[in-house]
Amino acid sequence: MIARRFIPIVLKQVWRHRTRSLLTIAGVTVAMFLFIAVQALQRGVQKATTTSAADQTLVVYRQNRFCPATSRLPEFYMDRIAKVPGVASVTPMKIVVNNCRASLDVITFRGVPGDDLRAISGKWTILSGSLDIWTARSDSAAVGERLAARRGFKVGDSFDSSGVTVSVAAIFASPEPQDQNVAYTHLAFLQRAAGGGGPGVVTQFTVTVDDPPRAHEVATAIDDLFRTDADPTSTKPEKAFVAQAGQDIVEIVGFTRYLGWGCLAAVLALVANAIVLGVQDRIKEHAVLQTIGFRSGLIARLIVAEGIVIGLVGGSLGTLAAAAMVHFGRFSISAEGMSVNVTADARVMLTGLAVAASVGVLAGLVPAWQASRREIAQCFRAI
Amino acid sequence: MTIIECTRLTKAYQKGDNTITPLHELDLLVEQGDFLALMGPSGSGKTTLLNLIAGIDRPTGGSLKIGGVDIAKLSRGRLADWRSANVGYVFQLYNLVPVLTAYENVELPLLLHRLTRNERHARVQTALNLVGIADRHDHFPRQLSGGQEQRVAIARAIVTNPAILVADEPTGDLDAESAHTIMLLLTRLNRELGKTLLVVTHDSKCAAFAGRTLHLEKGRLIEAKPPAPPAVPHAVPLSAGAAA
Repeated sequence: MIARRFIPIVLKQVWRHRTRSLLTIAGVTVAMFLFIAVQALQRGVQKATTTSAADQTLVVYRQNRFCPATSRLPEFYMDRIAKVPGVASVTPMKIVVNNCRASLDVITFRGVPGDDLRAISGKWTILSGSLDIWTARSDSAAVGERLAARRGFKVGDSFDSSGVTVSVAAIFASPEPQDQNVAYTHLAFLQRAAGGGGPGVVTQFTVTVDDPPRAHEVATAIDDLFRTDADPTSTKPEKAFVAQAGQDIVEIVGFTRYLGWGCLAAVLALVANAIVLGVQDRIKEHAVLQTIGFRSGLIARLIVAEGIVIGLVGGSLGTLAAAAMVHFGRFSISAEGMSVNVTADARVMLTGLAVAASVGVLAGLVPAWQASRREIAQCFRAI
Repeated sequence: MTIIECTRLTKAYQKGDNTITPLHELDLLVEQGDFLALMGPSGSGKTTLLNLIAGIDRPTGGSLKIGGVDIAKLSRGRLADWRSANVGYVFQLYNLVPVLTAYENVELPLLLHRLTRNERHARVQTALNLVGIADRHDHFPRQLSGGQEQRVAIARAIVTNPAILVADEPTGDLDAESAHTIMLLLTRLNRELGKTLLVVTHDSKCAAFAGRTLHLEKGRLIEAKPPAPPAVPHAVPLSAGAAA
């Protein structure tokens, strides 16, 4: 946009009214902090709910039930589901949460058979402890890293939630959003400890299909299988299930996009105000630059560059602050046992920086255009 | 050799409902290396003529050829390039960029040219030496006196080695001693570097340095006889091309 040799001039012009520039940058920082926080929420929802053709996990839930406390299915359904063509594996799962409503600090227990945890944990990285300890002890729990970090759990700790007391056997990291915020326990233990149907009753079945493009067909076949049973089922891809179960969260987070747009509008107004004031102060100076040979286009680009600098500095600070808050806060919004993990990944941060720079360009465009259209002699006459 | 050729040069502009005509069908020839003083009462068109010759304003009638180029026909961008290569402008109020040091102010016009950092440095140093302000190269304009600021402004005007220097009341904001020093400097640039020099002034003492004095009244030209130029001391000899 401008040659490197002009960059010191741009920086000196930004620094010229340092109080004004610093206040503007502070405003941009706050607005971009909010924008990135909103983006991190949106990204979490996107990661948790966006289905793809490669998804091979289905969730079998009790029809017309949306809460783990009310979805009760007989455990023996497992054998019948396993025989449906296209089903690769079935895991019965008991889910217990300490709060069914949307909350930032929900503890979710997932009870699974001991043998199935080995398959579930295929993509996990064990951060501390071991799954052997989990296998050996019936009241043990393998805890996702977000939950462990948020609650400060360490291997060997015991904790109680919803009347269930477990001992932390392992802490793991998982690429699956729903794994990061839960504690896996033995199914039989959780069935006994939590009540809600007792032994032989589970909340859901997690099914993997051997051919992802056939997932919808398999889901229909499972629901058809139990259509006339006492406990009919509703089977969906896991992410679609999360989107339905956490509909409140999805809608609220969807609404926050307007907050994000508002933040960008604030950034635009702040930067544009600073640039307009700066340009108005320098009408004569721009005329002098044109007199010594600066083309009007170059002057316009120098002005736009000032907007980019202010936008990028404020945007970087706001983005870093929001990313640090999200990283250290380990926020997850949970509802009905499903989690949306607030995520400021590289994509969110790069988006923030690109947006900040773009808003800087936009903010500088009008004053730059005005400055570039002024006639030199008129500028001198006007002063 | 004629470097500036104005033929029936006219400039008019609207101010409210009135049409102002600061220049009316003015004819003027300026030879290369001339030192012209433009005098006249306020509103006589001196600055307008200077601005037209410097390419920062456009005539509304007649023609204006400089170095054989009809600059009125150049596009906005090409006119900027032409100014950068051919004209150095010295303002009454210096018009230095306040956030840049003396060095950086003088370097500004060179940023438009394809020069390395070292080449720019050499040219800036030469220009600053030429105007006798090299020891203040790292000072900001607010740290300089009026005379020193005007020296920096002159260095900025000559650093690209233009053929024409124009100065609009270059001593108008200076005390008598500083004014005399600045006029001596401009005279030496004219005599020793061969710059064609046009100076707008109200001050007959300044005009006395010029080889030729033109009086403007109501946009028309009245040429005065050339006065005897004052003696110019050569305390710091200038060498031709030193600012090149």
